[in-house]
Amino acid sequence: MNQTQGSQHEKIQEFILELSQFAGTAEQTLEKIESDLMTNKKLFNVFSERMVAIRGAAIQLNLSDIAKIAELGEEIAIKGENAQKRSQIRKCVGSLWDALTTVKHLLVHYQDETTEEQEILIHRLEKTLEAFGGARQKIDESDIDNLFNQIGES
Amino acid sequence: MQLDSIHVLVVDDVKTTRILAEDLLMQVGFKKIDTAASVQDAQEIMESHSVHMVLSDWHMSPNTGLELLKWVRVHEKYKNLPFIFFTAEKTKECVMQAIENKVDGYLLKPLTPEQVEEKVFQVLSKKGVLT
Repeated sequence: MNQTQGSQHEKIQEFILELSQFAGTAEQTLEKIESDLMTNKKLFNVFSERMVAIRGAAIQLNLSDIAKIAELGEEIAIKGENAQKRSQIRKCVGSLWDALTTVKHLLVHYQDETTEEQEILIHRLEKTLEAFGGARQKIDESDIDNLFNQIGES
Repeated sequence: MQLDSIHVLVVDDVKTTRILAEDLLMQVGFKKIDTAASVQDAQEIMESHSVHMVLSDWHMSPNTGLELLKWVRVHEKYKNLPFIFFTAEKTKECVMQAIENKVDGYLLKPLTPEQVEEKVFQVLSKKGVLT
């Protein structure tokens, strides 16, 4: 391991420690939601915020698998917050347990290759999200530039 | 003002991201960088130091980066301060909210040296901070 790789490794270790705490908060949140689905569904917001934090740091560290699953978790949690039926909320909770368990595993084994099991999970989370109407519309950097230009011209 | 005199404030509630952003800003030539873990910390630093640019995350608790931007824009002392988001938040609704509140730039994570040299330098030049 050279100096740069060593430094990156140290940062990732620090990140993992910090992000494991976020995952802990997300876990406690899911437990609370499970204890009373209808009353506590507003707590999906806490879960999605923790997923955003994990995703942002994972993107910055080029940990794409963690970022992808955290993004799906974030989107499903937003659907859960707005779900009206107990069965829908339960479905979201189940998917989020899968997502969180995998994120926690990947935080420990971040150097491992993507496994078939993870790909199946990602596919399943995507299907769940689709069943709830899909993810929110996202834009890229060129869209952002266009928005800034439009405002500047108006 | 030269790059090495510009005081940058990085605001992000994730320590790892703050460290990575600070490293990257130093890599492109900034020398004076402060970091804050919350909006409240950021406000305290701004009130006690002369900050020339804010680079802030969006999703933070209990107050968001958008709230920090709004606070900056209503204060006479800071209202023209260059303010740039660097965030993983890429919904159109949020970008529009940021623009409506007079953000100067909106960078998507991962923050890269190229983004800083292209977008951040452009904002600093446009605002007359970087000469």
